[in-house]
Amino acid sequence: MTAAVMTDRPTAYTPPGDYKLSAAGLLRSEWTKLWSLRSTWIVLLCAVVFSAGLGALIAGSIPDDQAVGGAETAIGASMSGVALASVFVAVLAILTVTGEYSTGSIRSTMTAAPKRLGVLFAKAAVYGAVVGVLFTVMVFITFFLTQALFGDNGLGGLSLSDDGVLQALLGYGAMIVYLALLALGIGAILRNSAGSIGFYIGVIMILPQLATLLPWNWVSDVTPYAPGNVANTITLVDPSGQALGVGESWLWMGIWLVVTYGLAGLLLKRRDV
Amino acid sequence: MIEIEHLTKRYGKKTAVDDLTFSVKPGVVTGFLGPNGAGKSTTMRAIVGLDAPTSGLARVNGKHYSEFRSPLTEVGALLEAKSVHAGRSAYNHLLALARTHGIPKRRVREVIDLVGLHDVAGKRVGGFSLGMGQRLGIAVALLGDPAVLILDEPVNGLDPDGVKWIRLLLKGLAAEGRTVFLSSHLMSELAQTAEHLVVIGQGRLLADTTVEDFVSGNGESRVRVVSPEAAQLAELLAGPGVSISSPEKGVLEVSGTEAAVVGQTAAAHGLVLHELRTDRGSLEDAFMQLTADAVEYRQSMEGANR
Ligand SMILES: Nc1ncnc2c1ncn2[C@@H]1O[C@H](COP(=O)(O)OP(=O)(O)O)[C@@H](O)[C@H]1O
Ligand SMILES: [Mg+2]
Repeated sequence: MTAAVMTDRPTAYTPPGDYKLSAAGLLRSEWTKLWSLRSTWIVLLCAVVFSAGLGALIAGSIPDDQAVGGAETAIGASMSGVALASVFVAVLAILTVTGEYSTGSIRSTMTAAPKRLGVLFAKAAVYGAVVGVLFTVMVFITFFLTQALFGDNGLGGLSLSDDGVLQALLGYGAMIVYLALLALGIGAILRNSAGSIGFYIGVIMILPQLATLLPWNWVSDVTPYAPGNVANTITLVDPSGQALGVGESWLWMGIWLVVTYGLAGLLLKRRDV
Repeated sequence: MIEIEHLTKRYGKKTAVDDLTFSVKPGVVTGFLGPNGAGKSTTMRAIVGLDAPTSGLARVNGKHYSEFRSPLTEVGALLEAKSVHAGRSAYNHLLALARTHGIPKRRVREVIDLVGLHDVAGKRVGGFSLGMGQRLGIAVALLGDPAVLILDEPVNGLDPDGVKWIRLLLKGLAAEGRTVFLSSHLMSELAQTAEHLVVIGQGRLLADTTVEDFVSGNGESRVRVVSPEAAQLAELLAGPGVSISSPEKGVLEVSGTEAAVVGQTAAAHGLVLHELRTDRGSLEDAFMQLTADAVEYRQSMEGANR
């Protein structure tokens, strides 16, 4: 009996050769994962409504005879909702990573892609692209909407061809993408939802603002370089006179992303899943 | 073919797997047996590269798992812990994994039908029962039609029909020449499915053998004799290495000898036998016997630490 089983044993099975793990596959997989969760739709919908809604609310509540004016103030007021919506976007960015750890789906993900790094970069690329497209559109919608609502006061009458306006609007879009990527990287480092959200809001958003209240001068020399602040310059109509110039602003966004993703990638390779 | 060589995994001070060496061959179902906490899941996670070994290595078909260009077609794994996002549907979970490898939607629907999740494929996994979750895990493992299957406690939570179904499925897959490696802490679950057996306790290898040899090699085998002249027979059989007990009048249980010897002795002396039978220890007994030392060891260690 045993001998029969031994001789009947088939030769080893060869798996089908036409399926391959690929970068494009990882991107499509992350796209599927992102949109197959209800939380994505809810959070992004909130962020979109908030961006346009808060801008419109502020624009509509400024009386026509208000003495304020200038493109900088106008864009700042219009985009206050967009700036706050970045918090929603950052929290969702964190959850796209930490949600995988809390539910255990990361084990499926990493058995499909055991080299691991591709997953991190695919997540960042897909989410960054989605946020980039969505918020570039939102920034312009909000701009035209609020311009219409400002009416005759000193904030209205801006056009995209005015000095620095287009650049500032695109800057808001870029800032949101930068903050989303930063948050996603933090999620990949800390792996825990509450910890990552707490770190992002506490250390990235609030701490640099609080630090400026400290009585030492060197603190205000350093805070413009904090990861949560380096994108501020690119959202200004007139960036001259800022601690960081436009070029430096981009450079420091790059530096912080390289640092964050370098650490996240290293830890992803090293740690058990 | 799965090869484990001197695999050791420590979590802090805790040694989960301790210098484990064995291999799993294609064409048969190999059972991975050990009490809870023996290190089965840790070994399986090491095979698919989720946990890095402290030392030693785990290879599949001669390669480290992460070297494969299409991991899902090489190895299909059902891991013990939940590995699905509760907010996602079964279909989308499978689709997301399929897309990494360019596996078509057709195959996703195929495995969903195969595991019997057709009616709930669009529902969120969060509402699944343990058995449904297990079926989804099996669908994931089969998705890439892999040459090697690693299943950690696949029977857990399945109803009796499901258990029967998975037995046939695994045997069929092995018969196609695939490597099938499944773990359980219960011998009874493996006895009817596995042909080969790797047994561990305390992270160490206890046995690497066929199910058949495992039982005959370790199970206590006894000869049971019913005879009106039992007392006389007992005297004749007594000798070094032979122990005889009599659970009731006219019945002997003899260990340390064989039924043939008992029968010859009786015939030579003209004694009447009403029954002569060899009782094999059950598979479960054999397993208990092998792991008892390991379990006792742990309990005494825990006692000492307290
Ligand atoms: N991630 C981990 N961190 C710490 N200890 C662990 C971890 N995983 C497993 N262990 C410990 O290692 C031992 C083996 O666990 P496991 O491989 O799950 O055993 P089995 O699957 O055979 O029940 C157990 O004592 C368990 O507590
Ligand atoms: Mg286990």
